[in-house]
Amino acid sequence: MKYSEIIRLNRELEGVLKETKYKVVILSNIMVHQSKEICEYLLRVESVNASVSIGEYDNIVQDSTKIQDVNAVLIFWEACNFIDGLQYKINTLSEKDFQNLVEKIKLEIDLVFNNLKEAPLVLINKFTSLVFDQFSLPISRINKLTSELNFYLESVIGENVKIVDIDKVISRLSIKSSIDLRYYYSSKTLYSINFYKKYFEYIKPIFLSTTGKIKKALIFDCDNTLWNGVLGEDGFDNIKIYCEIQHLILHLAKKGVIICLCSKNNPQDVDNVLENHPDMILRDEHIVVKKVNWNDKVSNLKSISQDLNIGLDSLVFIDDSSFEIGLVNTELPAIKTFQVPAKEYEYGLMMREVSNLFYSLSQTKEDAQKIQIYKKQFQRSEEKEKIGNIEDYLESLCLLLIVHVDDLSQVSRIAQMTQKTNQFNLTTKRYTENDIRKLVEDEFKTVISISVSDRYGDSGLTGLAILDSDKSAIDTLLLSCRVLGRNIEYKFMDIIIDFAKNKDLRVLNSQYIKTMKNQQVSDFYERCGFIKVDEVDNISQYNLHLESYGSKDIKYIRMENGK
Amino acid sequence: MENRIKKVMSDVFDIDIESINNDSSPDNIENWDSLKHMNLIVALEEDFNIEFDDKDIENLLNFQLINLTIKEHIVEN
Repeated sequence: MKYSEIIRLNRELEGVLKETKYKVVILSNIMVHQSKEICEYLLRVESVNASVSIGEYDNIVQDSTKIQDVNAVLIFWEACNFIDGLQYKINTLSEKDFQNLVEKIKLEIDLVFNNLKEAPLVLINKFTSLVFDQFSLPISRINKLTSELNFYLESVIGENVKIVDIDKVISRLSIKSSIDLRYYYSSKTLYSINFYKKYFEYIKPIFLSTTGKIKKALIFDCDNTLWNGVLGEDGFDNIKIYCEIQHLILHLAKKGVIICLCSKNNPQDVDNVLENHPDMILRDEHIVVKKVNWNDKVSNLKSISQDLNIGLDSLVFIDDSSFEIGLVNTELPAIKTFQVPAKEYEYGLMMREVSNLFYSLSQTKEDAQKIQIYKKQFQRSEEKEKIGNIEDYLESLCLLLIVHVDDLSQVSRIAQMTQKTNQFNLTTKRYTENDIRKLVEDEFKTVISISVSDRYGDSGLTGLAILDSDKSAIDTLLLSCRVLGRNIEYKFMDIIIDFAKNKDLRVLNSQYIKTMKNQQVSDFYERCGFIKVDEVDNISQYNLHLESYGSKDIKYIRMENGK
Repeated sequence: MENRIKKVMSDVFDIDIESINNDSSPDNIENWDSLKHMNLIVALEEDFNIEFDDKDIENLLNFQLINLTIKEHIVEN
C-alpha cells in the first residue's frame, strides 16, 4: 500500500476506533518521524488503537527519564550517528578513543534501561553496521563496535525488553531499498518508507501479543494443503504428505497454537490418514477440533470458533482453493486467510510467515499443555449447524454453466472424468473414449457435459450426465470435486430434467450405486425430489414423475449453451 | 496527473483537494512544514515511481513547480 494512502487511512481509522489508546513512544538518535503513521496504521487495522509519539531528535537518554503512562517504548539507536559522521570517523579514531566511545554507549545503555525498567514493554533494535559496512572484506571497526554493544545489550536487558533483529528486515528488503541516504546527509533520516512498512509488519506481533490480539488457532484444509492430492479421488496410497509444512505445524502445536482441520472429506478417510499413513507428521493427538464433513466452510469455521470459545479474529485459515478462500474472506472477514501458493516450493516460506502471527511474548508450560486442555474441553461436538449466508457469497461469484451436448471434441475429457471422479459420482460407471464415442453417436443417449466458470476463472469441463431415453434413465451423473459446494448439482439437475422433457419422457429412473467414496451423494436423488423405490445391496433405485419435479430455482447460476 | 499530485498532497497535508491550486505553497498551507515536506516528497516519488534530484527537493515548494518537475521526470523516462 502506498504511503499517502496509509496516511489517509490511518487518519480515517483514528476517528473510528473506540478502544483505549495504545501508546507507543519512539526514542531515537536519527529522524524517524515517518514511522509514526505507518506504525499506527498497521496496528489500527488490527483494532489496536495505537497512538505513536516520537521523542526529541538524538535525545534517547534524556527522553527515557520522562517516560510514563505508555504501553511500549521503541528505540532506534543507530551506531552511525553515535557521533556525527561516525561511519567515516570511526576508522581514524585512536584505539583509546574507540574504547572510550564503547564505554560511553554502554553507560548510556545502562542509564536508559534503568530509566525504563518500569515500562511495560521496551523494544530496542540490535545495533546494526550493515548499512555502512556493506561490502568490506576485513572486519571493520563499525562492525566490531556493533558486535560488542550487541553482546553487552543482551547481557543487561531486563525481562521487559525485547531485542529486535533489524538486520533481518534490512536483508529482506536489501540495503539499497531500506535506506535513503539523500535524507541522511541533509536531515538525518536514514530509513526509507519501504523499510518502515516491512519493519512494523515484522514487529507487529509483539504489540499484538501484549494487547491480546494475537492469533490463537490455525485451521487447515486437508487435500492439497496438508498433502498433495485429493484423498477422495487419489486414495490413501497416492497422496503425498507435505513433510516440511507438517513439521512447521507440529512446532506451532508444541508452542500451544491450536491446530484444527476444516475439510470437505469423509471423516473416516481423514481419520485413517491421521492414524495410519506412514509419512504423516501430524497425528490426531495434535489436532484440537476436526470439522471434516460436507458442510460449507463458513459454517464449519464459525462452529470451530464457538467450540473453542475464541473470536473469529483469532483464527487463521489455510486452504488451496481460491473459491474457499474467497468465500471465507467475504463472509468472515475477521478470519485471516492464506492460500497455498501455486508453486509448491514457496509453501514453506509462506508457512514461516504464518508462524510469525502466533508470536507469543511469554511462553508458559500451560501453552504446551493447551492442546490437551482444549481437547478435553471439546471431545468433538459434531453439531451440524448451518449459519451464515452462503447464498450471498455464491451470488457474488457470477457462476456460469456452459452446457455441451453430444460433443465429439470432448470425448477424451469426458472419458477421463468417468474414470477419475469418485466422490460426486452416482453410479461410478467407467467408460473408455470408445465407449463415450458410441454413446455420443447413439440417438437414444444424450451425453450432457458442463463446464463451470466464476469470477475466479474457468474450471473447465467438470460435470457429466448421460441420459438414456430408451430406458428413461440417468445412466451417469458426476461432478468434479473442484466445483462442489456451489449448488451446481441442483442447476445441473434442472438441465437434465429439461432434456428428459424434450425427449417426451414422463418418468425418469435413476440409481445410486454405493462405493467406498461416494457417500456424500447417497441422498442426492432424494434431495432432488426422486422417490426411492427399491434398495438391493449397494444399489438404490429411484424414480421421478417429471411433471412433479420442483426446481430449486437457483437464480445466481446462469446457463449458456456451448458451441 | 495534476489530480494525482493533488490527491497525494491532500492525503499528506490533510486538506481538501479542491483547495489546492497552482499557488499552493507552505505560505498558504499551514501543514506544509519541513517534516511534512519530506513526507510529501517520498509519497510523490512512490506514487509516480520517480526519484527527485536531491538538489531539487528543497525547491519544490509550490504546486506548479512540483507539477513541472514531475512532468520532466516522466518525459525523460
